[in-house]
Amino acid sequence: MGVFTQEINGVVITFFSTASAVGKTLISTNMASELARQGKKVCLVDFDLQFGDVSNYLQLLPQRTAYDLQQAMNLQGNAVRAEEFLTPYEYHNVVFYVLAAPAKLEEAYNIDADKAMDMVRQLQKVFDYVLVDTTSTFSKLNLALLDLSTIVSFLGIVDFIPTIKNMKIGSETLKKMNYDKNKIRLILNRSNAKTRISIEDVENLLGEPFYHILPNDFQAASRSIKDGVPLVLRSGGSELGEALRDLVARYTNRVYDDTVDEHVPESWLARIFG
Amino acid sequence: MDYRVLLMESDRLMLERLSQVINDTPNFSLAARFQNVSDALGQGAVFNPNLILLDIEQPDGMGLIDQFKRAYPTAAILCMGEKWQAENASQSVKAGAKGYIIKPFTGMELQETVETFSRLGGDAGAETLVFFSPKGKSGKTTLIANLAMSLARKTREPVGIIDADLQFGDMAVFFNLAPQTTIVEAVRDARFLSPASLRSYFMPVAPNVSVLCGTPTPNMMDKIAIDKLENLIAMSRSLFRYVLIDVPAGFNPTSIAAAEGSSTTFMVTMINGAYEIDHTKRALDIFRDWADVEERLKVIFTRVEPCDSRSKMELAQKLGYPVAEIIPNEYTIVSDAADKGKMATDIRPDSPLSRQVDRLADQIIGRRHRIRWAAV
Repeated sequence: MGVFTQEINGVVITFFSTASAVGKTLISTNMASELARQGKKVCLVDFDLQFGDVSNYLQLLPQRTAYDLQQAMNLQGNAVRAEEFLTPYEYHNVVFYVLAAPAKLEEAYNIDADKAMDMVRQLQKVFDYVLVDTTSTFSKLNLALLDLSTIVSFLGIVDFIPTIKNMKIGSETLKKMNYDKNKIRLILNRSNAKTRISIEDVENLLGEPFYHILPNDFQAASRSIKDGVPLVLRSGGSELGEALRDLVARYTNRVYDDTVDEHVPESWLARIFG
Repeated sequence: MDYRVLLMESDRLMLERLSQVINDTPNFSLAARFQNVSDALGQGAVFNPNLILLDIEQPDGMGLIDQFKRAYPTAAILCMGEKWQAENASQSVKAGAKGYIIKPFTGMELQETVETFSRLGGDAGAETLVFFSPKGKSGKTTLIANLAMSLARKTREPVGIIDADLQFGDMAVFFNLAPQTTIVEAVRDARFLSPASLRSYFMPVAPNVSVLCGTPTPNMMDKIAIDKLENLIAMSRSLFRYVLIDVPAGFNPTSIAAAEGSSTTFMVTMINGAYEIDHTKRALDIFRDWADVEERLKVIFTRVEPCDSRSKMELAQKLGYPVAEIIPNEYTIVSDAADKGKMATDIRPDSPLSRQVDRLADQIIGRRHRIRWAAV
């Protein structure tokens, strides 16, 4: 008789928002990097199927995408090994995997929400963390993802009234779904951008405080997108990079420890070149 | 103006009922009434009518329009039907009628319908301008709101905005409205409505500008069927000279249906230093299936700095497609305006933003000879 081992399903973190351009992709790519840097097995799934930017931000040229995985699932059912459809991202010794959005728009349009959920369930069996980047709507796919997720990172920015209105609608809709309170984490990106609206006012309006606040650093963010290297992988880094690491530390239930750096090869490289 | 009405209605009871309504409506009088087309064509002229109400739900109803036009060259023709059918309405207008009214109608509806076509002048049927964006945060809602104001100011003709962004429509916020009726009710009631009664679902926001607001909460979205939305858009075309439609980002049933039926689709993208041009390029490839894509699909970039002809040219080169207009980055003015429920072009009519929006309005007005009623 073989040894019975219980199947383990990894953590699913969905990055969701009801306002666009709030930094979902920037934050999800950085969180994937930081978790991978800490030695976790990480897969980042790009379910902004039509206009996803994960491959752009990481400068990947995926050979296979979510569409290919769906095709294979249609043919072979659960025998498909989802991990064969991933594209690795490597920076020095840090590695994580990406399930890329389809190359063509018509492929993206034809991804079935149920199939997409099967993909996430498959990946959960192989990875410690499955991070999912999404679009800013309550679509069928996103609603299913919210249900399945261990944690939903609900992102917002404070810029002008219409955005705040949509954040409020989003957070109220999430409340109506009756998820456990600590499943939904309200994250504010770009906190000190030019605006006359105070964070306190927004928190009052939403009826809860932000779980985490990320500082505005448009320059650093743009640079990292241009270089294709997430901020947390560059040491000697930016305030935003630090805040992102702090955020990940809170997700992994450990206070961020600077000594982690010393075990990671690129930190001495950074000391030399940084 | 006083209307002397010739009523052509084959159903005896309906004829009685409508005669009563016409006689009870201020400024309208019944000049003559007929149950038989041959009589109406041969005998009505002695009563010198200036408005013909014509039942077109009969054999070759459409063909009758032309015959009545020849028999009564100076009278306006209003077609009547039992229920609203976008196709009938658009065909009858193409055939030379001024409008379409659902019978039985009230005196108020008759007045409003006549008022609408007199305001719209000769060629009824609006241009529908759909604003599509690959991803969210394109600046299109700001653009639509300000452009509508500019079009109304320049043409003094009625402009309607439909907020079909069914989950997170922002138009109500932009105009600081607390709408009693939204697109949900309009679509729900559409089969009972005629264009004249649909007008009350639009909220007036400025002289000649009114808005049909979006859904208040996102879970209402499955209440709007695409065919009903198409019908609503078609009906709105007989109320306005221009109908501007805000659709959800990306390719979805709503944005696809609206774009397919549009006179012109504007693809709006905000420049933000990442991969926006790539996204626009990919979206553009889908629209290239249109035989008349260069005529019907116009590209607009927002937040372009510096906002000059050189930037516009460079963007067009990168994209491999003409750029119709570029809109400058005026974050402070735009957010200030949106926070106050006012229009950026009203707060700062002298700003580069206002100038570019006005230029776009001029382009749209200049193309009026190419109205396409029957794009649906």
